[in-house]
Amino acid sequence: MSAVPPFVERVRSALGDERLHVALGRATEALRSRRASAFASLEDSDRVRDLARKAKLEVLADLASQLQRFEERLVANGVEVHWAETGEEANRLVLEIARRHGVKRIVKSKSMATEETHLNHALERAGMDVVETDLGEYIVQLNQDRPSHIILPIIHLTREDVGAVMHRRIQVPLSDDPRTLAGFARAKLREEFLRADMGITGANFGVVETGTICLVTNEGNGRMVTTLPRVHVAVMGIEKLVPTLEDLDLFLRLLARSATGQKITTYTTLLRGPRRPGDECGPEAMHVILLDNGRSRLLAGDDAEILGCIRCGACLNACPIYKSIGGHAYGDTYPGPVGAIVTPGLRGLHGWSELPAASTLCGACRDVCPVRLDIPRMLLGLRRETVRTEKTPLGLRLGLKAFGWIAPRPKLYRAAAAAARRLVRARAREGWVRRLPGLGGGWTQARDLRAPAATTFQEQWTHRQQTARATGSTPGASAGGAGGAGVRRQQAHKPEAASGAGLTPAERAGGPGGAAQHPPARRR
Amino acid sequence: MTARESILSRVAAAQRTARLPARPVAEPMAAATRSRSHCLERFGQELAALGVGCHVETTAEAVRERVRCLVEGQRVLSWDAEHLPYEAGAVLTAASRGSSPRAEQAAAEVGVTGCDGAIAETGTLALLSGRGRSRAVSLLPPVHVAIVRPEDLCFSMGEFFARHGARMSQEPSCTFVTGPSRTADIELTLTLGVHGPGRVVVVIGPEPA
Repeated sequence: MSAVPPFVERVRSALGDERLHVALGRATEALRSRRASAFASLEDSDRVRDLARKAKLEVLADLASQLQRFEERLVANGVEVHWAETGEEANRLVLEIARRHGVKRIVKSKSMATEETHLNHALERAGMDVVETDLGEYIVQLNQDRPSHIILPIIHLTREDVGAVMHRRIQVPLSDDPRTLAGFARAKLREEFLRADMGITGANFGVVETGTICLVTNEGNGRMVTTLPRVHVAVMGIEKLVPTLEDLDLFLRLLARSATGQKITTYTTLLRGPRRPGDECGPEAMHVILLDNGRSRLLAGDDAEILGCIRCGACLNACPIYKSIGGHAYGDTYPGPVGAIVTPGLRGLHGWSELPAASTLCGACRDVCPVRLDIPRMLLGLRRETVRTEKTPLGLRLGLKAFGWIAPRPKLYRAAAAAARRLVRARAREGWVRRLPGLGGGWTQARDLRAPAATTFQEQWTHRQQTARATGSTPGASAGGAGGAGVRRQQAHKPEAASGAGLTPAERAGGPGGAAQHPPARRR
Repeated sequence: MTARESILSRVAAAQRTARLPARPVAEPMAAATRSRSHCLERFGQELAALGVGCHVETTAEAVRERVRCLVEGQRVLSWDAEHLPYEAGAVLTAASRGSSPRAEQAAAEVGVTGCDGAIAETGTLALLSGRGRSRAVSLLPPVHVAIVRPEDLCFSMGEFFARHGARMSQEPSCTFVTGPSRTADIELTLTLGVHGPGRVVVVIGPEPA
C-alpha cells in the first residue's frame, strides 16, 4: 500500500471534517437503534450468542483439521481449492485462474478479504476489466476511494457526493436522489453481470460438514456474481469456518441483526459447487482460495479470539472513537475497534501501535459483539505490548515519570492540581477553554475544554459538611432540607461544577447508553 | 513446502500456543417448530412487514388464475412446468425457461418459481437449484412470483436444514430469499430492486386433499 499519512494527521483531518461528523453520527445512531430492536425480536439471544461464540472458539482450537476436512468436502463437491500465504499470493492465484479460463471481464461482490489483498489493483494492472457490484463498493471504485465501514462502504459520503461521482465517472444526469442513483447503478451493472466471464466473492461462512460457502447480501449482486459468469472464485480467510449447518443457523440469526438490524438479509446463498451437467445456470468452474495473510500468526498469540469476528460492523457503530474519526483514519482495511486489533495482528504492531490506543476502553464494542469478543482486553494487551516493544516518546516518558513522582505525595499533588486549575481557569471564556498550551494542546485541538470548577469536589464536600454541622442537618438530606445545605447543593450543581466526577469511565466516554455520544464540538 | 503445507503446519503450531478464552457453557437449542396454522399466520405477518404481497388461494384452480392475473401481458421467465405446484405451468405456456437464450431471460418482466421450503419466522423462501429450476428466474426479472404449498412451511431455518439437509447436499446451491432486493448504501435510504427483483409476490395454495 502506498504511504499512509501518520495516524495523528489522519485523525486531525477527520476531526476537522464537519460533514463527516454529521454523516457518521446519523448513520451509526440509526444502525445502533435498529440493532437494538432486532435483538429484541431474537428469542433466547444470550444463549444464541453463547452458542455462536462456543462454535467459533471450537473451530479455532481445532483449525488445522477443520481446514483439511473443509478442503476434502469442497474437492468432493467439484471445487478446486487453493491456499495463499499472503495477499500477493492470493492475487496471483486469482490472476492465474482468470488466465487459465480465458477471462477478460470480472464482476465482484463485496468482500473484505479481497479488499485486504488489494485484489482490484492487481487485476487491473494485469489488464483485467474488474467491476465492483455492491452499490457502495461500486461508488468507492468509481471515486478511487476506500471503503470506510465494514458494511456501509460509503458511510462517509452524502447523496450529493455520490451523485457527483456518478455524473463525472459514468456520465449519468446529475442527481441527489438515492433511488435514482441506485437505478443508474442497476442499469449499468446489469450489463456487466450479463457479459462477465468470472465472478469473485468473499465468503461470510464456510460450513465444514457440507463444504458449503455461505454469502449474505441484500442487493442480489452476490447472487448475480455466482450465477451468471462461467467461473466463480471465492477468496476466504482461513478463520471463516463454522462446523455444521446448525451452527450456521446461529450465525445467520446474529449477523444481519448485528449489522443492519434485519432478522435475516434479503439473500442468503449457500454454494456447494459448480453446475452439474444439465443445469441451466451456475458457474462451470468454482474455485476457493483459502487466505492466511497473517491469520495463523494471530492465532498463535494472545488475540486469537479476534479471529472469531464475523465482520458485522456493530462495534464500529457503538464506538465513540469510530463515530468521531470515521473509518479512513484507521488507515487500513478494517476500521473501528475490531480493526484496532486485526490490523496490528495481520500487519504487525510496528506502525499500527496508535490504533489500540485510540479507544476509551468503554466496552461498548464488547457489549454489542454478537460473539462477545473481549475487545477491550485485547486493546489493553496491545497497549502493554506497545510499551514493551515500541519506543515511548521522550515527552511522554518524562511526563509519566513526573506524574509517578507527584502522585504518591498528596500535598504536592494537591498544590500542583490547584496551580493547574488556576492556569486553565485563567484561559477560560464563559466557562470554556479554547486552547491549552504545550502538552495540553492535543486535548483542545478539536474540541473545547470545560473550565474546571473554582473549588474541588473534596473542598465543596468538606465545606458542606461543616455548614451542615453548624445548622444541624445531614449533608445527604433531600432537597428542601435545612436551608444551608440546600443552598450549598444548588451551588454545587451549577453547570460549571459538572466536571464529570462520579461518572464511570464508560459514561465519561459517552459509552453504551451514554448521552454524550460526541466529544463536545468546538464552540463557535 | 507448498503454501498449503506451510499454512497448515503454522496453524497446527499456533493452535498449541493460542490463548483462546474458555468456551461458554450453553446447551444446544432444538430447531424451533410450530403448528402449521401458526406457521401460516406468522409467514403472512413477516411477508407483510417485508412488503411482499401475499395471496392465499383455496383451490389449485384459483392458484392458476391468480398466477395468470399476476403475469398477464408481461414477458415471463419461469421454472419448468413440472417443478411448479398446482399445475401452474399450464397458464405459463409462452414463458421463457432457464434453458432459453440468456438475452431472452434477461428481458423477462416477471419470474415465476415454486419453492422448496418457506420459513415462517423470517418470511423467507428457500429455493434449491437444479435442472428445470434455474436460479436466474428468481433473480433477473424485476418481479418474482413464488408459489408456496402450505406443507412446505417450516417455522425456522433450523427446521428447514433438518428437513432438507439430504437434498441440500445433492444440489449445487440453495438460495434463501427474504423480501425484495434492497440497499441502504446511500445515506441509509432504503431503495428496493437494486439488482434482484424489487417486487416479490407469494401465492399460497391449498393443503393437499
